[in-house]
Amino acid sequence: MQWGMLLGIDVGGTHTDAVVIDESGIAASCKVPTEHGNLLASVESVIDCVCRQVPAAEIERLNLSTTLTTNAIVEGKTEEVGVLAVGGPGIDPTDFMLCRHFHALSGAIDHRGQLIRPMKESELAAAVAACRKDGIRAYAAVSKFSPRNPGMENRMAEVIGEAADVVTRGHALTGRLNFPRRLATAYFNSAIWRLFNDFADAVGKSLRRLGLSAARVNILKADGGTMPLSMAREMPVESILSGPAASIMGIISMCDIVHDSIILDIGGTTTDIAIFAKGAPLMEPDGIAIGSHPTLVRSLLTRSIGVGGDSALSVLAEEVRVGPQRPGPAMAAGGGHPTLIDACNHLGLAGHGDIARSRAGIERFAADHSLKPEELAQRAVDAAVGRIRDEVRAMVKEVNERPVYTIHELLEGRRIVPSKIYIMGGPAEVLKMPIFKAFSLSVSVPQSYAVANAVGAALTRTTRSVELFADTEQLRLHIPTLGVSRVIEPDYDLEAARRDAARSLLSFMRAEGVPSREENVEITQASSFNMVEGGRLVGRNIRVKCQIRPGILHRYKELLGRLC
Amino acid sequence: MLKAAHSLGIVFFPAFDWALSPTHPEREERLLYTQDQLEEEGVFDIEGIAEVKPLVADVADVERVHFTFPETELVTTRSHLVAAGGAMRAAQLVLSGARDKAFALVRPPGHHAMKSVHGTRGFCAINNEAIMIEHVRETHGARRIAVVDTDCHHGDGTQDIYWHDPDVLFISLHQDGRTLYPGTGFPAECGGPKARGRTINIPLPPQTGDEGFLMVIERVVRPILDDFKPELVINSAGQDNHFTDPITDMNVTARGYGRLNELLNPDIAVLEGGYSIQGALPYVNLAIVLAMAGLDYSGVVEPDLEPARVRQSNRTTEYVKRLCGELPRLYFNPPPDTSLTRENGYFVRRKEIFYDTDNIRETQMEFLRDCEHCPGFLRLETRSNRVPLSLGIEAPVGVCGACAEEARRQFEDAQLKGGFRYAQLIDRVNKIYQRIGF
Ligand SMILES: [Zn+2]
Ligand SMILES: [Zn+2]
Repeated sequence: MQWGMLLGIDVGGTHTDAVVIDESGIAASCKVPTEHGNLLASVESVIDCVCRQVPAAEIERLNLSTTLTTNAIVEGKTEEVGVLAVGGPGIDPTDFMLCRHFHALSGAIDHRGQLIRPMKESELAAAVAACRKDGIRAYAAVSKFSPRNPGMENRMAEVIGEAADVVTRGHALTGRLNFPRRLATAYFNSAIWRLFNDFADAVGKSLRRLGLSAARVNILKADGGTMPLSMAREMPVESILSGPAASIMGIISMCDIVHDSIILDIGGTTTDIAIFAKGAPLMEPDGIAIGSHPTLVRSLLTRSIGVGGDSALSVLAEEVRVGPQRPGPAMAAGGGHPTLIDACNHLGLAGHGDIARSRAGIERFAADHSLKPEELAQRAVDAAVGRIRDEVRAMVKEVNERPVYTIHELLEGRRIVPSKIYIMGGPAEVLKMPIFKAFSLSVSVPQSYAVANAVGAALTRTTRSVELFADTEQLRLHIPTLGVSRVIEPDYDLEAARRDAARSLLSFMRAEGVPSREENVEITQASSFNMVEGGRLVGRNIRVKCQIRPGILHRYKELLGRLC
Repeated sequence: MLKAAHSLGIVFFPAFDWALSPTHPEREERLLYTQDQLEEEGVFDIEGIAEVKPLVADVADVERVHFTFPETELVTTRSHLVAAGGAMRAAQLVLSGARDKAFALVRPPGHHAMKSVHGTRGFCAINNEAIMIEHVRETHGARRIAVVDTDCHHGDGTQDIYWHDPDVLFISLHQDGRTLYPGTGFPAECGGPKARGRTINIPLPPQTGDEGFLMVIERVVRPILDDFKPELVINSAGQDNHFTDPITDMNVTARGYGRLNELLNPDIAVLEGGYSIQGALPYVNLAIVLAMAGLDYSGVVEPDLEPARVRQSNRTTEYVKRLCGELPRLYFNPPPDTSLTRENGYFVRRKEIFYDTDNIRETQMEFLRDCEHCPGFLRLETRSNRVPLSLGIEAPVGVCGACAEEARRQFEDAQLKGGFRYAQLIDRVNKIYQRIGF
């Protein structure tokens, strides 16, 4: 064997899936029900299961996608956080009060990173003392424009010091602007920090016990990439909502997607939709929202609608509808109310479970609403597919209407025109034809779609993005998330900035033990503005964003297309 | 979480790849820090506020408003068409009911662009607000419109375009023309013979502060708007009254701009000038956004604001008070124009126009038909050091059938007899738009 095997695990809402992949494809796979109160047990039992198919010692890497942090936030099982926020001119930070221990401090930094009003040390000390008195051990320190000048956040962390087990500084999470989002992101990071670290400790123990002590552990992120466990321990917020990303990366690893495409993951009660531009998945413009809180956590663009195989049929004012309610399983599976799958069974599109029960259910329901059974079933399938189509169109339209900031992009910008659809999930095969008819686009259903999520988790590479900000008038360069801040020469230019951003990112990754390929580094934004005062050029304001883009591990590239 | 009391669409288009020249005030950097501030404040995440892409105006949108010589393609760039398209998009958002209000944060500005365009003056080539208004009138039917120009410079272009239009009220607040470009905008300029009192100029002394501006809005602008009852109020929003602006001499603050917009309550704001791109624009634009959305803007305080330095003198306050006492009568009881010349049934004006940006001198003879049934059609004979004698004829919205007929006849006559290098017809009644000469 040339390389070790890769283990991918996706802990989902109902099932936990695992696959082991070697260079010839899927070497083992397992599915167990997810134990809600004890995700670790689900992880252990699925590892146990695959290790009965392959030797544990040959697994060199575990990539894990888990709902741990997402669930904790949704269920409110998070730790109390002391939030210290420095606002400055503009909207009052107390409008974004996230929790009880929220302290707004005076002080201000402007858009160029210039300190315009120092922080009041006395206020800072009082805020820390108040949190301490209430037994707070987790903190978030955030100032406006900290990516342009991290000084205040660093000072806050210094003063909190030993009083905390964790202090999340806003600029350490992201170099992108958006103070309310940065506040929420830092807050959630600290709120789930302890929970995640305890889980990470426990996973480590389990792996040793199960004979996988050699395996490197990576955690899946919502952007479709992974981060090493060491990084995840510092930024657990990056592990939220990674489920849809696992499935999308699964499709990427199974099928060689090159065109503008639509991905549909049709489950029991929902359909997740994603869009690809020239084969690359589109990202949320700013970041994903946790509940009602928008954050700066990078994420693939996905939308979820309440249409799935188990969605109940209803008739309202002569209109046949599908979902969003799900009163129980399909009649074919012993349920009491007809669902989309029953309609498909009736039409002969599917042969799931007890077809006779499906037929009887559809017939009775049709009679109740004075419809012919075939008509009801057909209209139900049309309604389900129609809703998916409408949502896809709305999403594509939204993407094409995203703001741009240059005349070139406005007038010559590329529009997304999907030419292919990939479907996965339980009802994928069944809905292939109706979806083909509704969209008039070529439709593919990958062979191993049932474990696409775990395959995606196993094969996706480590991603990371950085933002560089240079100001040749102030002679300063910042790469906030890497803690880089240094003096530059007055002739520093955009070329140098592009090179520095890419190099810093690569060397950071390599220092973290992540082998990263130069060709996967992509500059996503690079601009240089002349700064003029009194008609005279005084410097350049340079901004570069660069990322290791999501995609599958290089050495498994030859698997592309073979599983599709 | 914050929620806007009035839903607001922001058409933000900084044109990061366009400048008049590398160090010109109208350069790529102009809206950079505004974008930083709006992003950092999370403005686009506020419920009810959305960022929207501009439309691109086409030549027909420009030629519904302007006489362009030698042709539209030669006096505009793509950036002008996008700025005008941004304003059009703002109006579309409001008129379609998608948003209560809209703010077009676009560049370059347009309020110095007049009816006839030979080139660029005061950084403006085409008039963004006028192109928006005529687009609205053509497609949505709204007719009665008020434009309040709050830029520090006199909105001489918008004044020129609507000089004869009784359905468009144009009010300009600006630094006194005796002390600033373009040197016009005195109270005596109060509209053409058929639209007397529909142009109101409010020249303010240098160093007028928030107090003076807000007094004028409360005592002059508001009562006039309340009487005129427009279907749309547009703020032609220049940010150059700010105390940090490098090319003007006023003392307005970001909060003053916020309050001004709260009082004015415009449906649409369109960015005009303002070149203090670091010290003013991020804060003024943020304050206007918040005020238009009905949110608290009291925290938008500039870092270098010293209240004592921007407070206006008592002398200024007294002067503005007197002005507030005198100006409303220009609208409510306008004086007759004693300088008018009337020849053969036409009101005649001769105008000299200087294009500072392009160094062009234009001479116009303007003829307005004195019709007893309507505001009359317009005939404009123009020449400049770039363009030989040319002709523009316009039958505006609301003109009578006989005037529209006569306008078309004169245009045809010019084609037959010659004598004009270029000729353009704008017939809004029959929606006929024609050009000849190239
Ligand atoms: Zn101006
Ligand atoms: Zn008439």
